[in-house]
Amino acid sequence: MKNEWRKYLAARAPRYTSYPSALHFDRSVSREDYADRLSAVELYEPLSLYVHVPFCKKLCWYCGCNMRVENDYGRALRYVCALAKEISLVGRRLGGAGRPRSVHFGGGTPNYLLVDEIADILQAIELEFGLTDDSNLAIELDPRLIRDDDISRLATLGFQRMSLGVQDFDREVQLAINRVQSFEMIESAVGEMRRAGINDISFDLLYGLPKQTLASFRDSLEKTIALAPDRVSIFGYAHLPAALPRQRLIDSDSLPGADLRADLAEQADEALIAAGYRRIGFDHYAKPDNALAVADREGRLRRNFQGFTDDLALTTLGFGASAISSVNGLYAQNEKSLTGYYDDLAAGLLPVARGVELTAAETAIAGAIQDLLCKGSANIAPVLAAVSTEEAGQICIRLEALEADGLIYWGGNVVQIDAAARPLSRCVAMALDPYEFPRKSDLKASLARAV
Amino acid sequence: MVEKACTAPARPKSCDLCTVRENSICADLGPREFSQVEKTMARRHVDRGKAIMAEGEPNDSLYVVVDGSFRLSKILEDGRRQVTGFLFPGDFAGVRATGSNAYSAEALEESTVCFFPHKFLEDIAADAPGVKDRLIARGQTEYHKAQDHIVLLGKKTAEERVISFIYLVDKALGVDAGPGKRRVPLPMPRQDIADYLGLRLETLSRTLTALKREGRLDELSRHEVIVPAASERT
Repeated sequence: MKNEWRKYLAARAPRYTSYPSALHFDRSVSREDYADRLSAVELYEPLSLYVHVPFCKKLCWYCGCNMRVENDYGRALRYVCALAKEISLVGRRLGGAGRPRSVHFGGGTPNYLLVDEIADILQAIELEFGLTDDSNLAIELDPRLIRDDDISRLATLGFQRMSLGVQDFDREVQLAINRVQSFEMIESAVGEMRRAGINDISFDLLYGLPKQTLASFRDSLEKTIALAPDRVSIFGYAHLPAALPRQRLIDSDSLPGADLRADLAEQADEALIAAGYRRIGFDHYAKPDNALAVADREGRLRRNFQGFTDDLALTTLGFGASAISSVNGLYAQNEKSLTGYYDDLAAGLLPVARGVELTAAETAIAGAIQDLLCKGSANIAPVLAAVSTEEAGQICIRLEALEADGLIYWGGNVVQIDAAARPLSRCVAMALDPYEFPRKSDLKASLARAV
Repeated sequence: MVEKACTAPARPKSCDLCTVRENSICADLGPREFSQVEKTMARRHVDRGKAIMAEGEPNDSLYVVVDGSFRLSKILEDGRRQVTGFLFPGDFAGVRATGSNAYSAEALEESTVCFFPHKFLEDIAADAPGVKDRLIARGQTEYHKAQDHIVLLGKKTAEERVISFIYLVDKALGVDAGPGKRRVPLPMPRQDIADYLGLRLETLSRTLTALKREGRLDELSRHEVIVPAASERT
C-alpha cells in the first residue's frame, strides 16, 4: 500500500453496517413508532430476518458483541420462549404482510441452543411470517459447541449457509484471546458440512489479535485456504478496553502495532486473492461462483447489519435482545439487557429501547455510503443537496483531501475509490458523515479502527 | 421468462354454450349489451405451462377463465418468485389495460379463456355505461385474489392456512361427493400451494397428513381432496 495512505490505516472509522450507526440511536424512537412501521409493511415486501442468540459457553476476550456466558440451559429456554413471544407480537402487527426471504441466526453463539430449540424458533417464524423452500437460512456456529449430528440436522432444517468463527488457527494467539480450538476441530466441522451438502461455508478471521505475527497469520491463512471455505471475512480486531471491560483481559502490549496491523491486513488480502477468492467490498472474500461474488459482479451487493450481503431485502426485522430492525427509514433496537427484554415481552410490549428515524439528509448520506462501500463509487449530488450549505462545503473539503492523497477520483458528482484503496473505503465513507466531524473527539474512544 | 401462449384466437360459435356464463360471466349483461360484447370477444385454448399474461409485458385485454386454472405469480424486489394466487373458471385477469403487467398468469392445466380487448370495451361503454363493471361483477379479479392471500397469510397456524385454502378452492371448483361431502380438485403442484401459503413443502405435507388424521380431510390424493361439506365443518 502507498506510503501516503498509511495514515488512513490508523484512522478510526465506523463499520457502517448501518447509517447512522447504532452509536447514534437514542430514546426518540419508541415501540409505537416501530409498530406503526410494521403495520405499513406491504403484502409482498421482501423481509430479511435476524435472530440474536446472546449466550456463549465461554468468554472470548476480544468479543464486542452483546453476549453473556451462561451455564444454565434453563435460562436459554426462557429466552427461546421470549423470542417466540416477540415473533408473535411482530407477526400480529404484520397481519400476513411481508415475505421473509432470509433468516440469519447470529450471536453470541446460536449453537449454544440445541437444534430442537433452533427448530422451534424456525417454526414460529414459518407460522407467523411464512417461509418457503427457497428462503435462505444462515447460522453462525462455534466449532467447539458442534455436537454429534448437529450439522446434518441443521442442514435438514434448511440451513444452507454456515459460518464458523475461526479467528486464528495459531495456538498462542488462541490462548491470548481465550478461544482455543484445534485445526482438526474446524476441519471436521467443514467435512461434516460438505457431507451434508452445504455449499456456502464461511470463515471469520481476525487480524490485529494479540501475539499475531506475519508468520503465524500466514500459517492461519494457509490453513484457511486448505479448507476452502466459500467465503472468508477478515475483520480488524478493535481493542477498546475502556468501553468493553472484557477486552481488559487482553494484554495491550501483545497487540500488533499500527504498521503490523496494516501488513497483516495486506497479507490476508494478497493470500486470498492469490488463492482465487474475489474481494467483496473491503473485508469479505468469496469464491467466484459463490452467491456473494455473483451479486458483486452483477452490481447487486448490499451492506446490512451482518456485513456485505447478496440479500436484496430493504427491510430487516431483528429479534432478540439488542437486535436491530430497519423498516422504511426507521432503525429500532431492542432492549440490550435480558431483564429489560423479558419485562417488555411479559407485558405484551414490543421490546424496543432506542433507535433513530432517518432525516432526508441521513437517507441521502446512507445511500451514498452504501454505494461507496458496495460498489466503490457513489453519486454525491443527493448528499450535497440534502445537507446544509456549510456542511456541503465541509464534505467537499474532506473529499479534496482524499483526492489529493489519491484515494479517490472525483469527477462531476461521482466519487470513485481507487481500486487499490478499496480496503480504505470506510475512510472515504467517513468524509460524507457529519457525525464524525463536529463531535469527533467524543466518539473517538468507541469507534473501531479503519482497517 | 414466461412463454406467451401463441394459439390463434377463435371466435366462439355461440356464447350460449358457455358453461360458466350462467354462474357469473356476462350474466348481468342485458341482451343488447351482450350481443355487442360477444362481437368483441374471442376464445382461446391455453396449453399447460403457457401464460396469458407475462409480468412486465403490456396487457390490453380482459381475460376470463372459462375452463381450467391458472397460477398468478410475480417476481419480488429481491428477484425471487412469489405465487400470489390462482384463477379458476369465472375468475378474471387483466382488469385494467397496462403497459407492464404486475404479475404473470400461467395455465396449470389445459385451459380455455375468453378475452375482451379493453379498447372495444371502452368503445361500447358509450352505448352501455358501466358494462365493464357489470361484466366482472360476479367473478373474482386479481384484487380479490390479493385480499384472499393476505387473509390466508394472516392465519397463525399451518392447519388453518391449509384448510382455509382448501375451502377457498372448494368454492370455485368443489363438487358434491355424496352426502355431506365435497370433492375439491387441486390442479396446482404441492410446491405452488406451499409457496402460496408461505409454508415449506415439508410443513405442508405434514399438515395435510395431520388434517387427514384429525378427520378434517376425508380423502387426500395428489390432485384432489374430499372434505366435509360447509354445513358439516367444525
